[in-house]
Amino acid sequence: MSIKTDVIIIGGGATGCGIARDLALRGVHHYLIEKGDFASGATGACHGLLHSGGRYVVNDPEAAHECITENTILRKIAQKCVETTGGLFVRLPGDSKRYRDRFLKGCDEVGIETSVLSPSKALDLVPNLNPAMEEAVMVPDCSIDPFRLCMLNAYTSRHRGGNILTHHEVIEIIKEKGVCVGVKARERLTAQIKEIRARIIINATGAWGDKLARLGGSEVPMTLSKGSLIISNHRLTNMVINRLRVPSDGDIIVPNEAVCLAGTTSITVQDPDNLEIDPAEVDLVSTQAEQMIPSFGTTRLIRAYTGVRPLLKASGTDGRSISRGFKIIDHENGMFSILGGKLTTYRLMAEKMVDVIMEKFALRTTCRTAELPLEGQDELSGYPLSKRLSNMDDIVCECELVPRRIVEQAINTMGTHYVGDIQHRTRLGMGPCQGGFCTYRALGIMQELGKVSPDLSLKILSEFLQRRFKGIRPALWGDQLREEQLVEYIYLGILNMENA
Amino acid sequence: MSTLMHDVVVIGGGISGLMASIYLAGKGYKTALISRGDPVCCLSTGCIDVLSTALNPLDGFGDLSEMHPYHLVGKKGVEQACKLFKEIMSKSPIPYVGSIRKNREILTPIGTFKTTCLVPQTMAASLGCRDEYVHVISFTGIKDFYPSYITSRLSNTGFSLYDAGVSSTLAIAARFEEKGFAADFATWITGLELPPGKVALPAVLGVNNPVAIMEEISSRINREVFEIPTLPPSIPGLRLFRALKAAFQDLGGDVFWGMPISSVERHGHIIEAVTLATSARATRVQGKAFILATGSFVSGGLFATRDSVYETVFGIPVHVPGARKDWFWNDFFTAGHPIEEAGIEVDSSFRPKQTTLENLFVCGSILARSEVMKNHCGHGLALATGLKAAKVCERKLT
Repeated sequence: MSIKTDVIIIGGGATGCGIARDLALRGVHHYLIEKGDFASGATGACHGLLHSGGRYVVNDPEAAHECITENTILRKIAQKCVETTGGLFVRLPGDSKRYRDRFLKGCDEVGIETSVLSPSKALDLVPNLNPAMEEAVMVPDCSIDPFRLCMLNAYTSRHRGGNILTHHEVIEIIKEKGVCVGVKARERLTAQIKEIRARIIINATGAWGDKLARLGGSEVPMTLSKGSLIISNHRLTNMVINRLRVPSDGDIIVPNEAVCLAGTTSITVQDPDNLEIDPAEVDLVSTQAEQMIPSFGTTRLIRAYTGVRPLLKASGTDGRSISRGFKIIDHENGMFSILGGKLTTYRLMAEKMVDVIMEKFALRTTCRTAELPLEGQDELSGYPLSKRLSNMDDIVCECELVPRRIVEQAINTMGTHYVGDIQHRTRLGMGPCQGGFCTYRALGIMQELGKVSPDLSLKILSEFLQRRFKGIRPALWGDQLREEQLVEYIYLGILNMENA
Repeated sequence: MSTLMHDVVVIGGGISGLMASIYLAGKGYKTALISRGDPVCCLSTGCIDVLSTALNPLDGFGDLSEMHPYHLVGKKGVEQACKLFKEIMSKSPIPYVGSIRKNREILTPIGTFKTTCLVPQTMAASLGCRDEYVHVISFTGIKDFYPSYITSRLSNTGFSLYDAGVSSTLAIAARFEEKGFAADFATWITGLELPPGKVALPAVLGVNNPVAIMEEISSRINREVFEIPTLPPSIPGLRLFRALKAAFQDLGGDVFWGMPISSVERHGHIIEAVTLATSARATRVQGKAFILATGSFVSGGLFATRDSVYETVFGIPVHVPGARKDWFWNDFFTAGHPIEEAGIEVDSSFRPKQTTLENLFVCGSILARSEVMKNHCGHGLALATGLKAAKVCERKLT
């Protein structure tokens, strides 16, 4: 039996979730299908930087203008996702003064507010900055939580008649007389297949865009650019730090909760799956970060992660010089692909996409996503440290202070059997041990609550350990290496898991 | 600064350091044992893995890499060390069982079986539990023990939950040491009216007198009882450490606990003294010979930087297996990542090869190519090389 709806969105990143929210607010019935959890592609594998636009102002003023407009909107509508840290563009000895002049002029032209700070003023704001800097320019960069952003966009969809299926992979696009009329989606763990039919199908799968388009008999030309980042175990800055120079590798550091994210690299890849991080990428990013914040070099790194930027194809140029603009492609067979763009402009992309859908449906409801604050922000306000510290009984995750009660609550309200879902929603396993101790516990609790069988939970645990190791391996030295050897001892020495 | 004179100064309070210290103190040498804190063996299962790659651990020697430290000790040396270890433990509240010529299997918290060699008596009945009914008992609120892992894997099992009023392994162990608790626990088990078979429970039967507690329960319920080792912190590991430390102190050995070494005095080819950082006055410990038993990365004997590895007390050159990108396999579950080879290379007298130091001997998992996870030889290697290093050190002293 097939389900019927008006629009199917494939992809649960910021773009897909943004489209779902926009459709919900304009009263259009829809299904969103995501093969993993929210934000599991490029959305979740970026800096979590809400750009002021400064980074693009010299090379791509149009993108910069979009950024500052959306930055202003998101600071208003998504207060619980955005930390208004402010940002500094730091000019180090040897960095071009001419670039700085062009930067200031560009900011002025697109309307990004700046103020030029002397080294001492900048050090006053961020004491860990390299004291040898020449100067710093303050811009309204912010830190944004991409996962929470997706959740809140999905919240509106769910509460206004939309349907969200995570952990469902689209395995087939159903075509009739050359027209895409629906999809078959398979639940990842149970392999159950759902058939959903719609009038329009939106491909918002980012780096997987071409793979997905091919299921429907189309192609989308893209350049895939891998970017790797590292996470430090400390929050070394309260502001976003950029290097004031032509955008290059490893020149952004973003504070996020108790840690900092630094990156990225830019390496063209062919396949968005099975990405590996080369230890040399980690070294490159940390040496660059060290130049802006010297203590980055001696701070423990928790892990590295990597994502793929889905860039619009342009021949003969490298990843950095390709426009960060976006594009909507009408495949003229009932399917549209939305490509390119960046986290900061996700709302605008969704608006443009839904405008096209409305036109197809000959409806006139206008977009309201820029005016209405994201719904559900009170409910999903997270689990601040102050609460964590006052609730120390029965802690399951010692690194992030997550008690059993919160874990059970997440399991029960979601009914999930994916341990990643719990980790994303509670911060379980996000600390220095990266779930080495607490994932085993979370799965034990899921067993006790009857959500997974012991056999299945061992399978999940072993997949988790492999995935976790992939991120930790390229950044293993110092204390993180010590911790890793202990974790290895637990699973291979005590539990004999290689023979489970 | 006060100076203390010793014949031997052992650095590192883990199994290898304790073994070396016990041997030398037993021979009448004035021995100092310095440790930065409680050793990593407190996180272990407490079982002595000698070599788990063969049914008889000694038969596994052939599969070891040519330069494995076990070859410097020899099969006989490994046997002697295990024998001495069992003798020491037989006088402690937690005797060990098992034969050096035959590995055994014990049940783990996820229902797999771990191959090991010598086990504390509280785990003796774990042997053969594949074949008969096992009733697993867990405790309300315990964090790292989920019996369903075991009951789903072993066909003939059951499980019950006991409320000890506390939930951490250490707190439950303390409850078992209270008068009358074990008796109440036994009465509760009897009331369960279980089918014939064994009773298994996480390793919480007290810290100080586990065998006596186990025997009391066992005789009251008239069936065999055994412990399953748990994740760190591990009570069997703690018991093992405490028993060995007590054995050393009973022989008159001096312990300096919780004191990191702040400086080393070296004169030509001789190490003369180390200075301990304490909260009060710094202490200088002088010795005729030194034994380095600080362990590998987890215990802090070795420390890795982005592109190298160094030894943390004396700065002795370390054998490093290639560049960082080669330190680990891609697959988490391939035991024995190349980084396990890192360590100090020694000559047949357990002296560090790349130095000219004459009175320093090295033992335990800090030795190069010990590959403890690959071979499952951690505590066995510690005992064997600890004893051997002590013996060559003894020759130096006489």
